[in-house]
Amino acid sequence: MSAAALAQDIRAGRASAVAVTEACLARLEADRHVAITRILGQRARAEAATVDAEIAAGGDPGPLAGVPYVVKDLFDVAGLPTTAGAGLLATAGPAAADAQAVARLRKAGAVLVGTANMDEFAYGFATVNATHGTTRNPHDPARLAGGSSGGSAAAVAAGLVPFSLGSDTNGSIRVPASLCGLFGLKPTHGSLPMAGTFPLAESFDDIGPFATSAADTALVWQVLAGAELPSPAPTAFRVGRLGGRFRQNADAEQLAAIDAIAGEGPLVDLPGIAGARAAAFLITAFEGGALHRDRLRENALGFDPATRDRLIAGSLLPEALHARALRFRQRFRDEVLAAIAGFDVLLAPATPCVAPTIADPRIRIDGEMRPARADLGIHTQPVSFLGLPSLAVPLKRPRRLPLGVQLIGWPGGEPMLFAFAAELEKRGLIGCETGVMA
Amino acid sequence: MTLHMRRPFKLPPIDPFLLALIATVAFASVVPARGGAVHWFELATDFAIALLFFLHGAKLSREAILDGIGNWRLHVMVLASTYVLFPLIGLVLTGLEAGWANPQFASGLLFLALLPSTVQSSIAFTAMAGGNVAAAVCSASLSNLLGIVATPLLLALFSHVGGGGGAAPSLAAVQTIVVQLLLPFVAGHLLRPWIGGFVTRHKAILQPVDRSSILLVVYTAFSAAVVGGIWQRIDLADMAVLLANCAVILALVMGANVAMARLAGLPREDAIVLLFCGSKKSLVSGVPMAGALFPAAQVGQVVLPLMVFHQLQLFVCAVIAGRYAQALAQEGDETPQPPPGIPQGADAAIAAAAGHGMAIPPECLPGVVENLALLERQAAVLREADGGEA
Repeated sequence: MSAAALAQDIRAGRASAVAVTEACLARLEADRHVAITRILGQRARAEAATVDAEIAAGGDPGPLAGVPYVVKDLFDVAGLPTTAGAGLLATAGPAAADAQAVARLRKAGAVLVGTANMDEFAYGFATVNATHGTTRNPHDPARLAGGSSGGSAAAVAAGLVPFSLGSDTNGSIRVPASLCGLFGLKPTHGSLPMAGTFPLAESFDDIGPFATSAADTALVWQVLAGAELPSPAPTAFRVGRLGGRFRQNADAEQLAAIDAIAGEGPLVDLPGIAGARAAAFLITAFEGGALHRDRLRENALGFDPATRDRLIAGSLLPEALHARALRFRQRFRDEVLAAIAGFDVLLAPATPCVAPTIADPRIRIDGEMRPARADLGIHTQPVSFLGLPSLAVPLKRPRRLPLGVQLIGWPGGEPMLFAFAAELEKRGLIGCETGVMA
Repeated sequence: MTLHMRRPFKLPPIDPFLLALIATVAFASVVPARGGAVHWFELATDFAIALLFFLHGAKLSREAILDGIGNWRLHVMVLASTYVLFPLIGLVLTGLEAGWANPQFASGLLFLALLPSTVQSSIAFTAMAGGNVAAAVCSASLSNLLGIVATPLLLALFSHVGGGGGAAPSLAAVQTIVVQLLLPFVAGHLLRPWIGGFVTRHKAILQPVDRSSILLVVYTAFSAAVVGGIWQRIDLADMAVLLANCAVILALVMGANVAMARLAGLPREDAIVLLFCGSKKSLVSGVPMAGALFPAAQVGQVVLPLMVFHQLQLFVCAVIAGRYAQALAQEGDETPQPPPGIPQGADAAIAAAAGHGMAIPPECLPGVVENLALLERQAAVLREADGGEA
């Protein structure tokens, strides 16, 4: 059931928040996808009871009344340590307050039921975690869910919760959304509240929702952003397809779907995309390494084997290289904004392929087998580099593994992306496969 | 009335380690090790010396030695200053003072003249003065490595000439050097891939171990000297003459190095390396070597000139390096440095991590090296997209 419909039922008294929460907690307990790291039964029941009490008193708890959700393990939850998926931080002091995003959802009536698995310190596209295990893709448990917000994605794709929150530095929402067949939003950089979240690379870090429809994604975005969607919604879209590097290392059917969606939309070739991806990679490595340098100095072996080598390497990058990559970004951004001036929405693959298997977590890039953990974000990373909003949407691919497409907009152009996604849903080109409970 | 601003008077900073040395000498003078304790102190001293060189072997990066080797002309000049110029001055001085009241001080002066250069302070002063740090690392490391063999050999060669008396090391002493210094050093260096990280990570713990082992050597040495009656044989006049000798040696060597750099037309950065690396003598290498090469009863007096010289060189070099740094700032000479590269290979990664006070655990090293290679590939892509300049 969608978040919006569930909230409507609860607000109308057709369902109780407490009953919905209990059913949800039971699903979390029974889950076999290694999606959840902590089930917050006591807190969830209290929040649900508050929602029901408010409705009983004739009040309105908000647009997400009684809707259960989970957050990636890097959002502050009052009274719990914020672990960022790290065993190292399991005994850290408890957060004094909820992250700002969690507080806004609570005010809108949503019920936090758990925290979700992730790559340690959000550094990876795989959700392979030494402390909690590898999150499994609900469409095929032998495959990766993607990362680093893989637990948040798997929780929604497995039908545990109607929506969830993740974070996206280089594609950590859009990659798992693509592999798990969901809608996942990376907002305009810096537009959603980051207070109370554990950072990876502040030049690119953002938070955003996973959901099963354009409408639900838009609903959660409105709550988080404190914004309203324009009415009426836009109906005409100037659509372009990103060419060049975005047409390489992509699935043929995915490209065909992009062409079908774009119709007459021209190919826009952005020169220097490989440089943008490289610069984003280097900036992330430098900022992530610098962030963790003190911890690495004290206890490198306490880190997850999957992330520590990358973080140590990043911490050894020279500052001059970081400065150069940032200068390149500024120039590249100016050039790209000039090149895409005539478009409302640009289309690009979200991941280069469907979910790789857990047994062999590699993907083919430029003819070579490369680690999925580092390279699944090949098409999302350049978009983060520009700070543009990007909504990953699931292509309609009945009986096949999910694969997503990015709808990329102008800074602040999220409403345009939601409207375009709703239009594609209506045309049957995109949408979540229902009944995934593998 | 006009008030004139006066520069505040500051005492020059005294190396706290030297104060500890002086305290150890004082303690050994009052409570020297005697009787059965001597044997245990000597055993502990042997062990401490071996440990010291083992740790130095584990600390010294192979890359640090190999990287700067290209600058061979500079290294030859530094080594010539350390192992030719210094010994010549030492020989002449001790020859001129053949009627020396205290022949073991003469031995000590000659010994000091034959020692390798310091590593840490040479490099620190070079960096402070804006010199060629990479070459300083290489020169000082080479000097230290060579010194393990060169110093005892030179001492064997010259001590007959210099009137060092019983200080001449026999073949057995060279053997001691090999077993006590060279072998632990090589063992430490060979184990570096496994323990290098630990040594760097526990620098805060190992530094006291490093220094206290020297103090142990000094204590045992001075105890033996005290029991042998050292204080009956030293007076203030001896100390004054010693200080004057050290000052003369230092002034002659530094003057010769400046002249040599000008004659050879060395660039400023390399001239600084020659000045600092070529004029240093290592207390860290010297004290354990004296412990291995000289009879215990003589070590106290033999290392006394070295201790005086060591503090003198620190004072003088600090002042000169400060002047260089000031001149550099006044010139506004901010030569743009090319952006440093991404460390490639295990040794470069270990060295870069040590620069951040970090040790890479051995189990992480292959993964870190692999990731650095990946980052280098990305940097190459960025360089190409960004106009191709380095």
